[in-house]
Amino acid sequence: MANLQHIRRRIKSVKNIQKITNAMDMIARSRFNAAREALLSNVPYVAKTKEIMRRVMGQMRGREYEHPFIKTRADLIAEQQEGAGKFLFIVIASDKGLAGSFSSNVFKAAHDTIEYDGTGESSSLDDDGDDENFHRKNFDALKGIKPAGKRTPKQQRQMSATGGMARATARRDSGGTSSGTASEVREYHDADYVDGIELITVGRKATTHFKQRGYNIIKSYHGISERPQYKYAKEITDLVMERFASGEIIDVTLIYTQFKSAISCIPDDVTLLPIVTDDYAKSSANLKEEYIYEPDVVSILNDFMPRRIATRIYGAMLHSAASELSSRMNAMSNATDNAQELVGRLNLFYNKVRQAGITNEINEIVGGANALE
Amino acid sequence: MATILLEVATPDKGEVYAKDINMLITRSICGELGILPKHANLLTELIPHAMRIKEGSGEVKLFISGGFMEVTPEKITILADAAEVPDDIDVDRARAAYKRAEERLAKKDSDIDIDRAEAALARAKARLLVKGVPMP
Repeated sequence: MANLQHIRRRIKSVKNIQKITNAMDMIARSRFNAAREALLSNVPYVAKTKEIMRRVMGQMRGREYEHPFIKTRADLIAEQQEGAGKFLFIVIASDKGLAGSFSSNVFKAAHDTIEYDGTGESSSLDDDGDDENFHRKNFDALKGIKPAGKRTPKQQRQMSATGGMARATARRDSGGTSSGTASEVREYHDADYVDGIELITVGRKATTHFKQRGYNIIKSYHGISERPQYKYAKEITDLVMERFASGEIIDVTLIYTQFKSAISCIPDDVTLLPIVTDDYAKSSANLKEEYIYEPDVVSILNDFMPRRIATRIYGAMLHSAASELSSRMNAMSNATDNAQELVGRLNLFYNKVRQAGITNEINEIVGGANALE
Repeated sequence: MATILLEVATPDKGEVYAKDINMLITRSICGELGILPKHANLLTELIPHAMRIKEGSGEVKLFISGGFMEVTPEKITILADAAEVPDDIDVDRARAAYKRAEERLAKKDSDIDIDRAEAALARAKARLLVKGVPMP
């Protein structure tokens, strides 16, 4: 029979946990309000930058300005055929856990994007007329001309889903003593595939996740996920531009969680670079008059482009922060509710056990008295 | 009188200013610009300065710490790093920044960042100008 003291102790510990989750819920709630404020004040700026970018790019279309960041899709394909460069991904997740499935959702989306092979279903945000969500479009245009020898991304995805990547990496690190089995061959290809990818991670969780899987992380930011600052977005931008300008990177994609409402946060991916003029066909058709640029197109673009990219990264960070905190809020209020329910059940159980004990005692007394008669 | 819509947005504070105005006098990297309604399409970069907005019979000043301006015949959009109306400006802080920047520039040490000091000076000057306080 269960011990009364044990049950009491359990009730106490559940209550303590409930206190903690409740406190975390309240903390997340107040930080979330700040994060949402910050996000809402950023939205008009991002929208206006995008609008201007769209108009400028619409005008650029069909005219070949020599600018390293602006390409037509035909250029892009030609470049790929010459010999591919690396892909850079920026993954924005959280520093801390206890936010439900927030981080794992981002990682799932990140793996889907990084290992995209043109067959997966498209992201839910692809068809909202957003001209700038074209990592997949680029990939679709490029698939089939990827250099031979690389494993197909799909196999890659299957493998990482089963944790094969993590195991393979761990084994490779431990000296690679295993014999030349089929899995050994696969490991080799993993390294090959991962070589073509560089990552910038924001949030400790993202760093650990991708490090474990053997990805090449060139820079990571910790401790800023809940309260992002523009200067970090700027730093990332500078790094990205530098890597892109050096020619080693041919594609920069940003993966973050879009905050739609307190109950709906959806991981999303956007391409930052290169800027493909073909994607601005729609706005180009609407354009009637030309711009006057002061002093001239190239210098304006040189200054405007980094700002546009930094704005997007900063916006994504704000989205991610609001999403993280709202996920934590939900997770923690669920945990508090569950603890409440558990306490209720344990109380019931406790009373039953207590009552059973009393009944037992009475039975014993009555039995003893009867025996004496 | 014809009007044109002016919108000023910053990354941190959202839309700082959104109003129909008569004329905007602003400073780009190429020099001073006056924008009237029905202006041709224009895209330019702004430097830190005190922007003058004419609406009705009055004139309002707005601090802009640099950014981009897009003009279409109906609308002016300004994307600024920071933009402040006179009420938001902290005079003491601007004065302190002004002095600090001047001292740095006066020293002419090689290890200070002259560009940065100059930009800080320009920002402090513009802030004080918007507020209507004399330079220290």
